[in-house]
Amino acid sequence: MLDPTIILQILWTSLATASYYVLFAVAFALVLKVTRLFNFAQAAIMTIAFYAAFVAVQWLAWPAWAAFAAMTATTLTASFALERIGFEALRKRGVSVMFVFVFTFMVSEFVDYLAMLIFGTWPQTIFPTMFWPVTLVGNIAVSAWDLPAVGATIGALALLFAFMRFSRVGQFMTGVADNPDLAELYGISKRRIFLVTMLIAGAFSALGMFLYGTRAQVLPQTGLSLMLFAVAATIIGGIGNVAGAAIAAVILGVIQNASILVISSEWQGFLLYIFLFLAIIFFPKGLRLPQRPRFVTAARDALIEQDAPAAESKA
Amino acid sequence: MDYLDGLIVIVGLYVILAASFNLIIGYGGLVSIAHPVFFALGAYASAILSRDLALPVPLAMLGGTAVALAASIALALPSLRVSGDYLLIASIGFQLGVLEVIKNVRFTGGSSGFINIPPFLIRDFGRTSYVVLVLAATAGVIFLVRWIARSDYGRAMSAMRDDELAFASVGRNAMWMKIAIFGLGSGLAGLAGALYAHYFRFVTPEQFELLQSAAILTMVVVGGMRTTWGPVVGALLLEALPQALAFLNLPPSVLGPIQGLLFTGLVLVFMFFRPQGLVPAQDAWRGARAAKESR
Amino acid sequence: MGEVLTVRGLNKSFGGIVVARNVDLTLQSGRVVGLIGPNGAGKTSLFNLISGVVKPDSGTVSLDGAPLDRLKFHQRIHRGLSRTWQHVRLFPSLSVLDNLLIATREYPGERIVNVLFGRRRLKEHDKVAREQATDVLGRMGLANVADALVTDLPYGQQKLVGVARALMGEAKCLLLDEPMAGVEGASYAAMQRVVREVADRGAAVCVVEHNVAFVRDLCDEGIFMFAGAIMARGSVAELIGDPQLTELYFGH
Repeated sequence: MLDPTIILQILWTSLATASYYVLFAVAFALVLKVTRLFNFAQAAIMTIAFYAAFVAVQWLAWPAWAAFAAMTATTLTASFALERIGFEALRKRGVSVMFVFVFTFMVSEFVDYLAMLIFGTWPQTIFPTMFWPVTLVGNIAVSAWDLPAVGATIGALALLFAFMRFSRVGQFMTGVADNPDLAELYGISKRRIFLVTMLIAGAFSALGMFLYGTRAQVLPQTGLSLMLFAVAATIIGGIGNVAGAAIAAVILGVIQNASILVISSEWQGFLLYIFLFLAIIFFPKGLRLPQRPRFVTAARDALIEQDAPAAESKA
Repeated sequence: MDYLDGLIVIVGLYVILAASFNLIIGYGGLVSIAHPVFFALGAYASAILSRDLALPVPLAMLGGTAVALAASIALALPSLRVSGDYLLIASIGFQLGVLEVIKNVRFTGGSSGFINIPPFLIRDFGRTSYVVLVLAATAGVIFLVRWIARSDYGRAMSAMRDDELAFASVGRNAMWMKIAIFGLGSGLAGLAGALYAHYFRFVTPEQFELLQSAAILTMVVVGGMRTTWGPVVGALLLEALPQALAFLNLPPSVLGPIQGLLFTGLVLVFMFFRPQGLVPAQDAWRGARAAKESR
Repeated sequence: MGEVLTVRGLNKSFGGIVVARNVDLTLQSGRVVGLIGPNGAGKTSLFNLISGVVKPDSGTVSLDGAPLDRLKFHQRIHRGLSRTWQHVRLFPSLSVLDNLLIATREYPGERIVNVLFGRRRLKEHDKVAREQATDVLGRMGLANVADALVTDLPYGQQKLVGVARALMGEAKCLLLDEPMAGVEGASYAAMQRVVREVADRGAAVCVVEHNVAFVRDLCDEGIFMFAGAIMARGSVAELIGDPQLTELYFGH
């Protein structure tokens, strides 16, 4: 039998490292839920986030907090540009799913190649070292990175939850996610909500990359692999279910890390693709957690009575 | 002379890749990035069958094509059962995942590649004979796709792209058609892979990465989707460009990214300013008979 | 004569809205049934349930005695069902003739093996299909637009093409969803004639319509639906004359 210490160690480490996975998954799932877009350009945003922090710390020798601020500012600007210059233009043209896909995929690839050109193809980290002091709690090694990472993630999730639940804009986001045309009828600006969603996703991506890049090495193509994880988590968690995506991310992260017990490390990366494939075959609808869109329920019910002809022709 | 032969072979193979991808994405309306992986499967399977299992090369090439075909159906069947969007995601996972396997597994030679692939034709009949073989295959694929697009099948593909629900309402089975299109297109990519393997006699995983995915997509989008000659123009353009770039004598660490930037940048520019591509497709479907009459 | 389409105990609700409430329905060969009722009554939903676009919560649908419940939409069409759409849904990239040619019951060009290795079979089928299509177009007065792109046609003619397309499958049961909406003049007479002919050839026809004159002139019987349920059946004249039903129709 395995030493319980080892199991606990792996569990703790995988939970801690699941932090960035959760952030990426939530970003992807949120954009998908509200804008109904598979935002493969998130990989580009993530890459931009990492290299912005990298430049701030290693080229400009800024302190960590300044680097974080600079990274966030850069990422938000990039998200803004992506939404306003990219997606909005595509929406106005009424382009097909394929067009959007090619666009987001190409944007991510473009940013990857740019990063390759500017920064080279060898692995980098945000800080010159990725080693953190370790304290022993019982027999478990807890890195100085772990708690702040988990804390930051929980904090971000809590903020998002509170925002979606209690703020007007957050509730509008749920409304637009549920029925964008109906929300427009209520005077909610879809345009503004889409932008807010992209900005939030950008912020989460930035935080996620800051956590990842201070603990592991990053290549220009790392953004894409990490994003695939987010995609798998989103599918398993249930499309439209952000909380589900977060939980799925934790579970997948733990499984991937724990797999070291049974398979060699070079195959761990491959596990991700297995997840993705299994997700598609067995969980196309996702593991549904009860989700209740709050905002437009009553209004929707009221309008359905009048809207019946429209409902009929859509059915 | 060897260099030129090699260039012609590569361009011919990429025309096959672009034309077959055009079948999948242009005519079939299926979004997928997993074309290079079938190119790889065809190459590796043919190489392994001929070198390690002592199959005669022509049989090995057929085997390579069959492996690519079977793998593509294994991918498409569960994915399309859910939806077209899922095929896209599954294709990303498949493309990256299979390459991971190839890089880590012993019998493919891993990251260092597969060497000593048995030659074909060249020892007996000279390089030119192989070049002719590839050009014949290229022409065959171009006209095969053209023939299919203009046939009754093309009419069905056009209707399927227009409105899948209406397509079902006239009794047609969209799912099986999509699987067939994906299978045929990917099988042809596998054939290209087999042809590649026995000319260059050395394959590495690097030749089948996301860069090639982007390149093939660019060839089709920039060349012109749903046309016979668009993918040809696209492939010629995109294979000629790197050759032109090579003359600049840039270091390889710069050359790779610049090529990539060029590909992706081209697609983005075209998508915004000339989405129909260089060779514009007609809006309406015309069968072979009508096409003849309109001339 | 005989029962062609049988619907028993069909129920369906979408998130609290009942679109089908214990619906029982029989369509007989050679008869045209008019399905009337106000907007939101569930008429199109019923067509969607019968054809398999939407899965019912409970109940069965049978064609010629054989249950359709496990079959997908396109499989039911293949068995001999046919339907039109309220919003036409023609194929914009195809001409009128091609819209019809794609709609035959069997379409060998659907299989790639036939394209590659069965050219003769394709040619034979094409010949027969073209004859059939030309015939249908002629009967509907559309012969002169056979090669036009459907997007170039006025809406009324598009609707006619939609019905023509539905006839190509030589279905046993035809479901027409508001075929007269937007159609006027000579097309009106053509539509009436064609629907009658189809019924006379043995098909069971059900028409959803708001055009009272059309329903009265053409339909052998009527069914009144309201809020997902069948409220009344009888001759069209009876239904139209009933004051309570009229109130339901207009009062809503």
